Amino acid sequence: MKTPQSALLLVGSPKPGASSSESLGAYLLEELETHGVHGETIHVMKALRSDEATEQFLAAVAATDVVILSFPLYIDSLPAPVMRAFELVAERRAGASAGAGRQQALVAIAQCGFPEAEHNATALEICEHFAAEAGFEWAGGLALGAGGMIGGRPLREVRGMMRSAVRALDVAAAALAAGRPVPGEAVTLMAKPAFPAFAYRFVANRQWRGELKKRGSGAPLDAQPFA
Amino acid sequence: MTTTTSGTALLLDGRADGEPTLARAHDALVDGLAAGGWAVDDWRLLDETIAWCTGCFGCWVKTPGVCVHNDAGREVAERAARSDLLIYLTPVTFGGYSSELKKALDHLVPLKLPDLRKTGADTRHPQRYDRNHDLLVVGTVPAGQADGAGARTFRRLVERNCLNLQPERRAAGVLERGAGEWEVGVTVGALLEEVGVISDERARPANEERVA
Repeated sequence: MKTPQSALLLVGSPKPGASSSESLGAYLLEELETHGVHGETIHVMKALRSDEATEQFLAAVAATDVVILSFPLYIDSLPAPVMRAFELVAERRAGASAGAGRQQALVAIAQCGFPEAEHNATALEICEHFAAEAGFEWAGGLALGAGGMIGGRPLREVRGMMRSAVRALDVAAAALAAGRPVPGEAVTLMAKPAFPAFAYRFVANRQWRGELKKRGSGAPLDAQPFA
Repeated sequence: MTTTTSGTALLLDGRADGEPTLARAHDALVDGLAAGGWAVDDWRLLDETIAWCTGCFGCWVKTPGVCVHNDAGREVAERAARSDLLIYLTPVTFGGYSSELKKALDHLVPLKLPDLRKTGADTRHPQRYDRNHDLLVVGTVPAGQADGAGARTFRRLVERNCLNLQPERRAAGVLERGAGEWEVGVTVGALLEEVGVISDERARPANEERVA
């Protein structure tokens, strides 16, 4: 892996507003920028909205040294729009000159709403296969549990609760900026639970009921409309 | 006398093109299900406009069990909830499902409850419905890669899906592109037998007279 001059953050969250995936990816990108790396951000959902946006997305991917993909876990895997983006990138690069002869790297950040980071393992494997098939050097994957704690806020605002994740991204940024893949230390720090799983489940389950009261249509949380 | 109970199968067909091995697998699945006396809800996803799931969780807290977006995506959970067997058909895509299949699978979230519960060593979401769905998955990989890294990841993905869906019976097969009629038929037949759709008594084509 070469010392990067540029990095492209792909926000894989399909949410239209702020997302935990963007918070994590933005922090890593900002840290890379402090090392002199030029950063750019593209939301995958927006890149798929029109042919023109897709072309701009593909051009940005072809032009960068490091792609940072940050995404939420959807059904043990990546969200469908990210899989579509993968297909488009791989298709464009198959037998084409885009990226050919250049050393480009891919690093992925996966976060899920479960307290255990291990749920993300298969999704990160899929990212690694994509990297291999599309001609990127795999620079490593970071898996985070309890991603809902971030709630789309800038990571610098929640760093107390997410201090291990922040430290992980600091370590990852220093390595990537020096042209090295994500070190094992960063992977371990990112996966380290910030608090006991039962406490997270307790708070999350209370929050779902609070959300039902605020947004609900009157149906109970365990309604079975298609029984 | 038969030993299996027929039901309804929802076939989520995630083919993006006319790749012949998946087409053969599709036809073998439909024939096998018919031979087993199953009703088939055969859904070609390429033809459907299904909005991407945006993770708004409206299907958990606003209209529990129903997607807030009124398009074919809403039907995914409904048709799945009313089926006994879910079938995924897909080209293995970087070790995962094609985007055509995944755009539908992301809409299965309403089948779960939002609660987080400890299940074994992990935390999972409980099922919304009492009915358990069996699961059958068929994927294709390039020739020579049936035991490759992508196929292994694909099998792990199906296993992880099973931890969440909790099917009583499950079967997954990976076919190499270019596989012929016989290879596809034998593989699909074995998978259908694993999930109880066909047995020796039900292995003959649907249009052939069945011995009572």
